[in-house]
Amino acid sequence: MRIIRDRAIVEDDFVRVPDGAEPPAGAKPIVRLADFIVAREELLARHAAVGVQVSPDKLPADIPDLQRLALIAIEFPRFTDGRGYSVARMLRQRHAYRGELRAVGWVLHDQLQYLERCGFNAFELQPGKPLDSALGAFGELSVTYQAAVDEPRPLYRRR
Amino acid sequence: MTASSTHWIVTGNFTEDGAVAWRRPDGTWSRRIADAGLVVDEETAKALSTTARATEQREICEPYGIEVQVDGDTIDPLTARQRIRANGPTIQLRRPD
Amino acid sequence: MYQYDDHDRRIITDRAHQFRGQVSRRLSGEITEEEFKPLRLQNGLYMQLHAYMLRVAIPYGLLGSAQVRKLAHIARTYDRGYGHLTTRQNLQYNWPKLTDVPAILDELASVEMHAVQTSGSCIRNITADHFAGIARDELEDPRPYCEILRQWSTFHPEFAHLPRKFKIAVTGAPGTDRAAVRFHDIGLRIVENAAGERGFEVIVGGGLGRTPMIGEVIREFLPKRHLLSFIESILRVYNLHGRRDNKYKARIKILVSALGIDEFRRRVEEDWEASRTPELELADEEVARVSAFFAPPPYETLPANDRVDGLVLGRDRELGNWVRNNVVAHKVPGYSAVVISVKKPGIPPGDVSDTQLDAIADVSDRYSFGHVVVTHTQNLVLPDVKTSELPRLHAELRALDLGEANANKLTDVITCPGLDYCDLANARSIPLSLEIAQRFDRIDYLNDVGDVSIKISGCINACGHHHVGNIGILGIDKRGEEFYQLMLGGSPGNDASIGKILGRALAQDEIVDAVEKVLGRYLEARESPDERFLETVRRVGFDPFKEAVYGTTDSLEAAGDSP
Repeated sequence: MRIIRDRAIVEDDFVRVPDGAEPPAGAKPIVRLADFIVAREELLARHAAVGVQVSPDKLPADIPDLQRLALIAIEFPRFTDGRGYSVARMLRQRHAYRGELRAVGWVLHDQLQYLERCGFNAFELQPGKPLDSALGAFGELSVTYQAAVDEPRPLYRRR
Repeated sequence: MTASSTHWIVTGNFTEDGAVAWRRPDGTWSRRIADAGLVVDEETAKALSTTARATEQREICEPYGIEVQVDGDTIDPLTARQRIRANGPTIQLRRPD
Repeated sequence: MYQYDDHDRRIITDRAHQFRGQVSRRLSGEITEEEFKPLRLQNGLYMQLHAYMLRVAIPYGLLGSAQVRKLAHIARTYDRGYGHLTTRQNLQYNWPKLTDVPAILDELASVEMHAVQTSGSCIRNITADHFAGIARDELEDPRPYCEILRQWSTFHPEFAHLPRKFKIAVTGAPGTDRAAVRFHDIGLRIVENAAGERGFEVIVGGGLGRTPMIGEVIREFLPKRHLLSFIESILRVYNLHGRRDNKYKARIKILVSALGIDEFRRRVEEDWEASRTPELELADEEVARVSAFFAPPPYETLPANDRVDGLVLGRDRELGNWVRNNVVAHKVPGYSAVVISVKKPGIPPGDVSDTQLDAIADVSDRYSFGHVVVTHTQNLVLPDVKTSELPRLHAELRALDLGEANANKLTDVITCPGLDYCDLANARSIPLSLEIAQRFDRIDYLNDVGDVSIKISGCINACGHHHVGNIGILGIDKRGEEFYQLMLGGSPGNDASIGKILGRALAQDEIVDAVEKVLGRYLEARESPDERFLETVRRVGFDPFKEAVYGTTDSLEAAGDSP
């Protein structure tokens, strides 16, 4: 499956694992939070890179061992559910999370720039939505007023 | 003259200019409620709306069915909201256009 | 007023360009209406009953004459020759075509205007006291902070998809709140602490709508430099924990009420401690930079002009009434602020034509340094008029049909567009306001009744602010017919109160009679002509008014209906 990562279209090297299933050996699995909580030592020992997918009601404090995760995927069940933007920013700024932060679910072209400003660096668009034109979204607003993850200084400190 | 009877019609707003749209029997869209195609019940109206929603996004925004009273040639919606949609604001406009 | 630099201009033109792309993807079918809707809402474009509606942002209500002319031009060229002033100091157009909206946004951008975030679940227009900068009772001008907040909130990436809309208001006059800060999601009052430092009292969780609530103080004194970081923390707690399951329970007031102010405050302070950074502090240089744009205009040094009293009592009765009702004392000697009432019998409250707008632009250039302010009572203010020029100005305004001497009086009605325009409405509101304006169009009666606010909403969303009207009217749908709930005693200011329903809902042909009876009872019951309507209501209670309208104070008989 193709995704956008760091403003490029790449083949996804992670594999989404169904609830309760055993991730294939040698894979980079994405498991849901509940499964990770139950089996995290084993997962982290067996796989070089482990990713966890969380629903938007989860806060950073709900994710154990988050610094050992290669990827955190935050769900957007509706594109109007804006909680993930705050969770992402908290993960990056308060918790200094350095792994891949991926937005999944109902993710629209028109939100990519805001999502990136909040700390997401990877995006799964919905099936059928064109990725190439989506890349154009990142530069659409060339000037930003306020501080965010991508730029810690408000415009008035950069003018 | 036949007594007035209730029917259903399909309405929406034109994507291009937001004007009120009424679905004709042949599936095209009119700006006049008098052209609306009558269907027998809510389910039929709903099905037509769902199809239009899926296939006619370029033309029409958010179509839906409404119940109307028909008296000869006159189609009269049952609610004040729909009557105002059909006939325009009840106050005098500076420039009706 | 604030002047855009290259950065500000870029931000607006980028956005207009972005929206142009979104519109063409909508028209080509690449995105559906469901996907387009939040995008167009973030650009202030609604779908109403008959047409799209575009809401232009007027930050804290302030306009320059070039902007007023552009608004006139847009009304004339792309709409039906008029615009509508709103209760949040914006202007909306009722008939734009989607295909024209990109061009409209380009036109607005050319005069440093836009329609960004005037709808949708995001941070909306920052509103202020319409006499900001000139009021005698003002501690400090709130407008620089409104502009700073405007910039901070524009395209804020973290808060573009809140549970619901978010409204912020700022007042700089501690004694009289003309910005209704206690009825906003966040209200800010500029205050001075014991050490003589200026800062903000931060109020959170006020609002109208289905569940009107008066906001609570989350911070008694917030130093200015913490303004943006602290507000971010409030927004973050709301974004994370506000309800998203029920549109009618999604405002921050519901969250504050559910948690209690102490727990809500604890969460905000916790987030603030963990997330504030030195960079997020509001720099003194930025406050100074923005404040410079609101420096006083080149006032002449004039003697204090006591001509005002002379005009009020002079032979020209029309001028006298207008000066008495529409002219407001100014902090600079020899100057006055003038309320231009657009409320004329036969005209929906808040509507102003393209020719009137063009004329107002000219008038503002000649009398008021080219500035006009939109009030949340759907009128306009010329903030800096030489008192000596009042008679000439009045004559010009009268010739333009803008000389009604009814500011804050009975026929200065505030109303939402209602069922004639709005998809959300249950009843029509404009015809009611027209009937009131017509019935009571007698200046002596208006003056006798004195200051009273009538506010009308066509549905529970309360865009007409009926909860805080001295007389509030809510239109409801009862068994398919339009009925009206009558309430009394609301007030949006420092003495905040929510109106109380008087009795059962009234039919369309009863409601204006009921208003007349209420006024009649006030005239009988007041202690003196100086006792205002609201004061009388508070002193004598509701029973005398219940009795006047319903003939009884019996609760059962006069039982109110819930919507």
